[in-house]
Amino acid sequence: MRSNLLALLVFAALAAAPILIGGYWTGQLTTYLVYGLLAMSLSLVWGYGGILCFGQAMFFGIGGYIMAVLTKGMILPELTSSYLGLIAAMAGSALFALALGYFLFAGRGISGAYLAIITLAMALVLERLMNNWYALGGYNGLLNVPPIKLTFFGASFELWDRMPTFYAVLAVVALVYLLVSWLLNSTYGLKLTANRTHPDRLASLGYNVLIIRLSVFALSAAIAGLAGAIFVTLDGFASPTLIGFTLSTEALIWVAIGGKEMLLAAFLGAILTRTAESWLSEIFGDYWILILGIAFMISVVLLPKGLLATPLEKLTQGKGRKSR
Amino acid sequence: MSILELKSLSKCFGGLRAVDDFTLTLAEGSLNALVGPNGCGKSTLFNLITGLMRPDAGKIQFKGQNITGWPPHKIARLGIGRKFQVPAIFEELSLRENLIIAARKNEQRAAIDNILEQINLSNEAHMLAGELAHGQKQWLEIGLLLAQAPSLILLDEPTAGMTAAETHATAELITRINRERSMTVLVIEHDMGFIEHLACPLHVMSKGQILKSGNFKVIRNDSEVKALYFGQSEAMPDA
Repeated sequence: MRSNLLALLVFAALAAAPILIGGYWTGQLTTYLVYGLLAMSLSLVWGYGGILCFGQAMFFGIGGYIMAVLTKGMILPELTSSYLGLIAAMAGSALFALALGYFLFAGRGISGAYLAIITLAMALVLERLMNNWYALGGYNGLLNVPPIKLTFFGASFELWDRMPTFYAVLAVVALVYLLVSWLLNSTYGLKLTANRTHPDRLASLGYNVLIIRLSVFALSAAIAGLAGAIFVTLDGFASPTLIGFTLSTEALIWVAIGGKEMLLAAFLGAILTRTAESWLSEIFGDYWILILGIAFMISVVLLPKGLLATPLEKLTQGKGRKSR
Repeated sequence: MSILELKSLSKCFGGLRAVDDFTLTLAEGSLNALVGPNGCGKSTLFNLITGLMRPDAGKIQFKGQNITGWPPHKIARLGIGRKFQVPAIFEELSLRENLIIAARKNEQRAAIDNILEQINLSNEAHMLAGELAHGQKQWLEIGLLLAQAPSLILLDEPTAGMTAAETHATAELITRINRERSMTVLVIEHDMGFIEHLACPLHVMSKGQILKSGNFKVIRNDSEVKALYFGQSEAMPDA
């Protein structure tokens, strides 16, 4: 109950933020929300699913490119619906995750450091591929990706201005948070925990752990794909950096700092780290990355549950509920 | 009628024949114990039956179906439950959540309170499984099997680390499960007191094979079994 209240407070604060921070920062915050969505997807697969995916940006990038290609009308000039683009981005990322996941988890099942290395390598390969795929813009990427066009009952509206865009993105992020939280509180969440901590036991009770792993991997990829698809419409272009190594590791740092086992903490980890980056890099220039590094180390060594998740869990836990 | 038939099962690890041409048939509703020194292949045998490992040779027949090489979840669904040697429970979940997972199908969930009572953990239902004492963890794992409701249960050292009183209570619980729920039980155990209490047919395993079968008294007085546990008979001149 208390964690729901906390989430409500966080989203209410975010909804109120544009009044205080002005137009420029509202635009920035919109981007951070999208990064927060990527962080949630990583928290789901890593913190809850126990799958350390070191290349989460590949799903973000795949979603971004699919959205760009479709809404620019590069495949079907008549069919440039934003809705279709968003759905295709999610489906494309999820399908890619299913194929990759099957290769990783079937048979003996790759896990731990090996899984991390393979996913990292995949992200690097995809980044290389996009750099050299000239039909998709190569190194320069795809420019002039149109903004999201919302159509209801014949009327249409383009997300061009900052305020409506911010609130539309916030609504999507809140909806995803709500759905994933609900899912994690259902029996599916229990299965994920059981699979993370004792897969052999779970299999011996009659569960197909391959299906559980594939499902969480694909779901997480679909969310990352959605984030990527929204992202390219904000910036107006899709480039190989969306898919590769840098964004993948950044996402890991946000989630580790926030707290991988708490969806809300991971989400806030992305937003706060990004905000801190903007401020600190103005003051310290490139040295801000040292501060980020120290925060990361503190989080890993002293507070492995996350800098944010540790206090937030204390706040949300009533007397009755035990520690996790 | 037999529920499980193991025919000439073999499994090697490198040069070691962990299970070697092993044959055993369990009658439906029976209770059997498997004993033997460490490293004689008992746990490997369980891994073969439950599908965690594939046998190199031989056949496993359960309820008339050849389940050799099936994946673990399919074998479990067909009705084989297993208790691992080290308590395998979901430590980050509460006891009730552990049992909900184990029950899988909704209609069995109503029985969860009943199971908690049987394993004597009703008051701990909302505790995290990781916070239980060792003996209680063993019981919770037996509770998982009750919730899973298989027709054959394999117990790998269910009383390891238990006090004498707990061991006694566990033996009672297992005989009760076997009788009242008509589940077939195969138990691996070292504790001779426990096995005597079970009062069931006993199979002594050595070097991947069954050395002797019989009831407790016969086995206890068997010279070959004595030699296996207390040293080589050739080394000891007959007095």
